[in-house]
Amino acid sequence: MPSSGVLSSHAEPIIPKSDVSDKQTLLAVLQFLKKNNLKDTEELLKREAGIKDDEVTPHSTTASESDVSHALAAYKSSDDPSLYSDYYTDLKSFIDSCLDVHKVELAVILYPVFVHMYLELVYNGHENHAVEFFEKFHSDQEDYYQDDLRQLSTVVKREHMQGNTLMENFKSSKFVIKMSRDSYIHLKRRLQEKKMKPLLNIVQEHLFVDVFDGMPRNKQQIQLSSGAVLGESEREANRVKVYYGLLKEPDINIPLEEEEEAGEGDDKPKKKKQKKDPLLMKKSKNDPNAPQNNRIPLPELKDSDKIEKITVFREATKRVKVNSTCMPSICFYTLLNSFQGATCVEISEDSSLLAAGFSNSAIRVFSLLNSVKLRTMKKSKDLDIIDKEAEDVLERMMDDRTASEFKVLLGHSGPVYATNFSRDRKFLISASEDGTNLCCALFHPNSNYIATGSSDRVVRMWDNLTGNCVRILTGHKGAVQVLCFSPDGRFLVSSGVDRCVLLWDISSGSLLANMKGHTDTVYSLAFSRDGAALASGGLDNHVKLWDIHRVLQEVDIEADLSIPSSFTVNENPNLLFGTFPTKSTPVLAVHFTRRNLLLASGPLQT
Amino acid sequence: MAQKDHKEQKISSHLSSESVRVIAESVSFGGIPDEALVHLAEDTTYRIKLLLQEAVKFMHHGKRRKLSTADFDQALKVKNIEPVYGFQQSTEFIPFRFASGGGRELHFTEEKEMDLQDVINSSLPKVPLDLSLKAHWLSIEGVQPSIPENPPPATKDQQKNEILDTGVKSAIDKIPKPKTANETVKAKHRHKVADLAKVKELSTHELSVEQQLYYKEITEACVGPDEGRRSEALQSLATDPGLHQMLPRFSSFISEGVKINVVQNNLALLIYLMRMVKSLMDNQTLYLEKYLHEFIPAVTTCIVSKQLCMRPDVDNHWALRDFAARLMAQISKNFSTNTNNIQARITKTFSMALQSDKIALATQYGAVAGLGELGSEVIKSFLLPHVSSLGEHLKQTVDAIVLNNVDKIAADNIKKMLTKYIPPVLKVSRSPNNSVDSYIAEFGYVGQLLFNAVERERRSSGSGQSAGPGPGPGRPSVHIPQPRMIIHPGSQPTTPSTPRQLSLPNSINLPKTPTSIGGQQKFVIMSSQPRQPAPVSNPLSMTSGTAGTTIVKVMSSGGQGSTTSSGSLPSTPQPKIVVVSMPQGSGTSKQTPGAASTSILGPDMGVKSVFSGQSATNFSLKKEHDNNWS
Repeated sequence: MPSSGVLSSHAEPIIPKSDVSDKQTLLAVLQFLKKNNLKDTEELLKREAGIKDDEVTPHSTTASESDVSHALAAYKSSDDPSLYSDYYTDLKSFIDSCLDVHKVELAVILYPVFVHMYLELVYNGHENHAVEFFEKFHSDQEDYYQDDLRQLSTVVKREHMQGNTLMENFKSSKFVIKMSRDSYIHLKRRLQEKKMKPLLNIVQEHLFVDVFDGMPRNKQQIQLSSGAVLGESEREANRVKVYYGLLKEPDINIPLEEEEEAGEGDDKPKKKKQKKDPLLMKKSKNDPNAPQNNRIPLPELKDSDKIEKITVFREATKRVKVNSTCMPSICFYTLLNSFQGATCVEISEDSSLLAAGFSNSAIRVFSLLNSVKLRTMKKSKDLDIIDKEAEDVLERMMDDRTASEFKVLLGHSGPVYATNFSRDRKFLISASEDGTNLCCALFHPNSNYIATGSSDRVVRMWDNLTGNCVRILTGHKGAVQVLCFSPDGRFLVSSGVDRCVLLWDISSGSLLANMKGHTDTVYSLAFSRDGAALASGGLDNHVKLWDIHRVLQEVDIEADLSIPSSFTVNENPNLLFGTFPTKSTPVLAVHFTRRNLLLASGPLQT
Repeated sequence: MAQKDHKEQKISSHLSSESVRVIAESVSFGGIPDEALVHLAEDTTYRIKLLLQEAVKFMHHGKRRKLSTADFDQALKVKNIEPVYGFQQSTEFIPFRFASGGGRELHFTEEKEMDLQDVINSSLPKVPLDLSLKAHWLSIEGVQPSIPENPPPATKDQQKNEILDTGVKSAIDKIPKPKTANETVKAKHRHKVADLAKVKELSTHELSVEQQLYYKEITEACVGPDEGRRSEALQSLATDPGLHQMLPRFSSFISEGVKINVVQNNLALLIYLMRMVKSLMDNQTLYLEKYLHEFIPAVTTCIVSKQLCMRPDVDNHWALRDFAARLMAQISKNFSTNTNNIQARITKTFSMALQSDKIALATQYGAVAGLGELGSEVIKSFLLPHVSSLGEHLKQTVDAIVLNNVDKIAADNIKKMLTKYIPPVLKVSRSPNNSVDSYIAEFGYVGQLLFNAVERERRSSGSGQSAGPGPGPGRPSVHIPQPRMIIHPGSQPTTPSTPRQLSLPNSINLPKTPTSIGGQQKFVIMSSQPRQPAPVSNPLSMTSGTAGTTIVKVMSSGGQGSTTSSGSLPSTPQPKIVVVSMPQGSGTSKQTPGAASTSILGPDMGVKSVFSGQSATNFSLKKEHDNNWS
């Protein structure tokens, strides 16, 4: 009983409200305050804890006298703010004194301990101590936490803690740390020996230590997977099987024949016959990693879809390889005179359309094919006249007089932050003034999963069927701005504010490569159609090409996936096989055409 | 709100209670107790910080590096607070203007009072250009084509490092070279790298065929007769990236060209060459320091040479001197450092020319112009002390028994120069009470002149506001630039010179090209080896008329400059001049006039240039060679 008392009273603010026993403690405190006529404090605490008046009375009757005194005794014991600094120093020196193998692993707990100590000081109203504590130790923390720490440092009063999202995160979730068993035992023994209550309390309440058997990890390994707001992902989190394989292609042999006859008037109806076979052969193989075709029911395949698929195959046969001896050509589309700057650029899958969103709430859609102009539909009056049975009814619907290179879409009332073409290019979705936490989201090629990247520096994958989070990928040191799946669905690349491009294996959730080279936020990523190369572009006005093929060759297949310390991450600088600077244009979009020509786009900055 | 966050940065990222008080008073909330103020200040600071953090997220979403007021508004909207109006989408309020005085520091937004009448009457602002999409090749099979849309192959910094360390150079050239580089790529990267031994290489510039073509076209256009092509070529020199490989060629072209044309007194060509220098100086992607040892003597020559044209009494070689003087000022402004001391050395050269009275007046004119362009400090310490001796020299010339027309014009022009540069300096340094006598006592012959000019200067600037029809009607007096030209009424120059517009150093006026003499000539300038970039050792060695190793041949049947014979001889109607610059010690090879034209164009020669009046080659300036490069 005493130990639980220590925990609850002290961790009062940080404990989820659902916890009944904690709430009772809180109520006990309130009652005590009331008894001693400390009205202001009572009001404050009530407001703070979100407890209504009527809640207090009924519960207070149930709370026994002894509970109250006990809670307060506990409160007082931790009430010496000057000791926090000593505790922290003590912990630090203990970690320093450990063996090198354990030292790096144990050092990870310093950051969460620091944060929670600070928050406790702030919560208990020791503003000066809190600030002092912060000043003393904040520079010890890793660089990539400094942004969070800056946010943290703005919180110096108890009132501030409410409604601050970062605080909510720290309060409601545990900071996850992976640690080898040896290191963990070390730590545990020390904490129990020393009996430093606040410290023990923090470790128990706010830390989740994911213990694994095996060698402790080295500094580099730890660095690579840390960085998220709330630590690393638990190993458990990535255990679920993900069907990353591609869906079995529908059998379109027959439609192909039909198409051949129907499409006589088409551009190039020849050549198809011998080409389609190898591709279809490949696709019709059953991939053990693919989800069942009916896992998420697919819509009926329309004729237009079939035609589309045939075009894709045809194009695919003409595609060139991308490797270090045969680099792709890059066609750059520069948006000129975009005074307030384009906020997003998107190129449709078939490379025929480019959509750009602007901060003045407009969206412009450009046609990238010289021959194709964009037209609007005729007025309803004119539409009536059209013969609906005609073969080219779709063609007739359009008004040729409105043909132009681009169209402006208006409708948003604020900056447009994202646009996305639907696969059939019939629709364009756009997002404006959206929630600010989620930075990007993307469908898996087999449509069964969605990957999201967010400003808490975590990439997550969600199952569309169940809604569960099936992968938590940590390792980014800044907000994740862009994601891209490999064409075969097995790999995911992500990048963002931290300028690193990370390559993940979806099957295991492990980090395969960390590609460094960009000098500013990366906003665009694209796999070549054969998956061998990756293009990235960002605010540093560079397009970079990375050798993914090589990463996959160098992957250590022997590694035991259950032991974090056995992973190696490819950080070979030679993975980069090309850098192409633009003059003064941030690269907001990169896109490989079906034939592996690289398109890139961005607004010229003057 | 936005105002507060700026303050935050300045004052240790905290809003002071004093500020809160001021803000409260500004919305008529007086008498808030101190304690409350402190609380308010702390809380506001915290709230603003929160908002800023939110705004930064919007900045990231907008894919920008700079936080804008719109981001802040967005953050406010998200927090369900009404945005701050009046700051939307404007950059002029940021950063806030700062003023201090009387123990108070103040940040404020500048709100000018506008006369509605002015707003109505002023012409409508230009409609901004519509957004457009432009495609170009960023890379073609891994090689980045050198087109204006792409960044230059080597940045200025890289070029700079190149001088200091030849190892860097090899690194620059190696980066864009893919492993499968085929022949064309190899040709483009102009030197093979000896990776192991770090030797300072001598001749490192092999030009690709396209670059050679470009060089030929540019040089021909720059000195050819077609003004349209010339300006196109100069524009190309001034703006195109990636010229650094050809820079050694251009610099020796200019340097050699000046040497020869000074001897030939060919004013037009000298002007063309100076315009080339100007264009190269304007090119932001070039690192010119390496070539100053060639540019500075050439420019200096054009300022102070005794004779620059065939008929000094008629031709306006003064314009060339002025132009070159401005160029020199720009050179000194851009490149003078503590180590190379360019400005000091230039100044010394000019003031030496001033001190002697044996030196031609034209040279002294150049020296005055050169010093004058270097700014008021230089004028004060180097020009003023010599004014009286210069005045004596002028007096002697004007009062000479045998009146030499050329000298008289020169003297007039020098006076004009003095009245242009000196009065603004004197106006500041001398009190208005100084009498004519004191001026005459100090400056002798030109004292009266200067006094008048200074007085005029005072009047025009002092009364500019009230007396509307001043010398510059319609212009507000504040904007009148300091050095203003005052035409001395006493001495009307014989050649009616158009009033020169004074301009800032970066917008130098181009002198007008005088009529070229002697019809069209054909010049062949050749040096047997391209100048290797040597460290700037003695940039001030003045080019005397003929350089030791340069041989000038005039191949002409008729007398030079006489146009009469040109009609009768259809085969060689124009005089042909061949200049061969020999390396030291091997000056024996003589070329026969007949063989000259062919052997000169041999492929092994370094710098070659042919410009001819007849050449009508189709000149598509840049595009053609761009495409070829790719």
